[in-house]
Amino acid sequence: MALHDQEMRFVYGAVLNELMAENPNVLCLEADLSKASGTNPQVPNAHAMNFVNFGVAEANMISTAAGLAAEGKIPFCATFTCFASRRVYDQVTISVAYGNNNVKIVGTAPGVTAGPNGGTHMCFQDLAIMRAMPNLHVYSPCDVYELRAVLRHMAASRQPTYMQLVRGQVGAVFDESVTFSPDRAIRLREGTDVTLVSTGYMTQFAVGVAESLAAEGVSVELLHYPSVKPFDAATLVASARKTGGVVTVENQNIIGGLGGAVCEVLGEQCPTRVKRLGVPDQFGEVASETYLFDKHGFGPAHIAAACRELAGGAR
Amino acid sequence: MAGEFDRAEFDRLAAEWRYTITDMICRAGSGHLGGALSLVEVVMTLYKRVMRFDPANPKWADRDRLVLSKGHAAPVLYVALAYEGFFPKDWLATLNADGTKLPSHADERFVPGVDMTTGSLGQGLSCASGMALAGKLDGKSHTVFCIVGDGECNEGQNWEAAMFAAHNQLDNLVAICDDNKLQIDGFTDQVLSLEPFADKWRAFGWEVMEMDGHDWDAVHRTLTAAQQVKGRPVMILAHTIKGKGNRAIENRPESHNIKVPDAAAYQKYMDALAVQDCTLPY
Repeated sequence: MALHDQEMRFVYGAVLNELMAENPNVLCLEADLSKASGTNPQVPNAHAMNFVNFGVAEANMISTAAGLAAEGKIPFCATFTCFASRRVYDQVTISVAYGNNNVKIVGTAPGVTAGPNGGTHMCFQDLAIMRAMPNLHVYSPCDVYELRAVLRHMAASRQPTYMQLVRGQVGAVFDESVTFSPDRAIRLREGTDVTLVSTGYMTQFAVGVAESLAAEGVSVELLHYPSVKPFDAATLVASARKTGGVVTVENQNIIGGLGGAVCEVLGEQCPTRVKRLGVPDQFGEVASETYLFDKHGFGPAHIAAACRELAGGAR
Repeated sequence: MAGEFDRAEFDRLAAEWRYTITDMICRAGSGHLGGALSLVEVVMTLYKRVMRFDPANPKWADRDRLVLSKGHAAPVLYVALAYEGFFPKDWLATLNADGTKLPSHADERFVPGVDMTTGSLGQGLSCASGMALAGKLDGKSHTVFCIVGDGECNEGQNWEAAMFAAHNQLDNLVAICDDNKLQIDGFTDQVLSLEPFADKWRAFGWEVMEMDGHDWDAVHRTLTAAQQVKGRPVMILAHTIKGKGNRAIENRPESHNIKVPDAAAYQKYMDALAVQDCTLPY
């Protein structure tokens, strides 16, 4: 089975096993959601000593991870995004980021992908609140190949990090050759009429939108940001200068996340017309992805419409 | 490294530490005096008689660790580290000054010898558990000490950590509760009752010991006994007096954080020290 036929969470667990085989200091920390994260049973089966379950106690997991990191361990802590970000925000702030302890936090089932768990579990603000934290990197890989590259980078760098992890299967954007640098956005498609900026789960859709618009004669420059922080401003500014219009799309509240980062950069360095797509400052609900895309206006058809509107934009 | 015990010298030094801590906080203009003074005998015994460490190599892998979870008591830790030679005693006079290396709450990033940054109550016992687990995974024999406050035990995260440390049989973890019966808003039994405190820790699977936190012999005996316990973490309830040795604040709620706006206030707190014939180390 090809890697892109696997669920993202299975690849997360499999890559952790690879990393543990190479470095016994890599640890897998879970808070009673290890099957949901894709690490159980494959990680405890292969590396029982490197697998630690905290029970339903996320705050303790994050601060304990800081203690482990202070001793040279490289703990990857996974739980749903709502718990990995907002529930443990002070633990991440003080034990991890302020204390500069090398903890890797993995928020699973981001945004609408929380699906049937509904509004209580649907976290739309993790990119925003984690991005506002000094000394924390924030990543959101878009497919299994990039996920593996991002995880390998995380294990090799001494950098407190938050990463979104979509649990299900995601369309392949890259192949085995993809590399990751937190300082670099990836230009997936060159274009001249409008810049489309995406991250994480939404990039697979953005690729399809850009292709279909090309057939209509709209030339989309597609920028994918696997790292929302640090944020590669130069690539964005160069593209915005060329196209004159920027559309952002993210599986998040439009406040403070990818769209926020884009507006901050452009507002200061290259004032440009921007349209942010995502969830317009509302909570989630139990619903299908299609329903939520349509309700909030950030599915493929909405992305295409926004790109058409800004194509050739007001320079 | 563990040294000889000379009671008269320890008494003299404890008075000097209390004099110094009071001066440091008064110079800074404000600070958490009460909870620093209550820990003098515990912290001095740890550094002079119990813990293994090397000031020339603060990150020595086989050292014993100390997480001061009640990070606001940092002045007593800073004094201990300066007296043991981790950094020059001159630094002590810079507590909370602009650009200081010694911030109000214990900070690993700036202070040689501090093993974990703390300040947000409730997190240190988890951090210490992680350090103890790492020691177990690496087959090390050192002890991880963790000092929590009694008021701090209001924070639910302590009890998450309590379950975790017992579940994982972290017998290389020795917690000490500075049980001075006071928190910011008053006496602990009036703000949020902890009792039956010892039984709570026992129920969570911990070995519980109690000691007079100002009695040199009891403190040394209990700390060393705790290091011998096998199969479970240890909680030592150190019965202490908040503001010990400074009559202006002893056992008073307002001892938690004093304000020293002027020379008169400075003189009031210095004059209230039980022992006066001390020399500042800077």
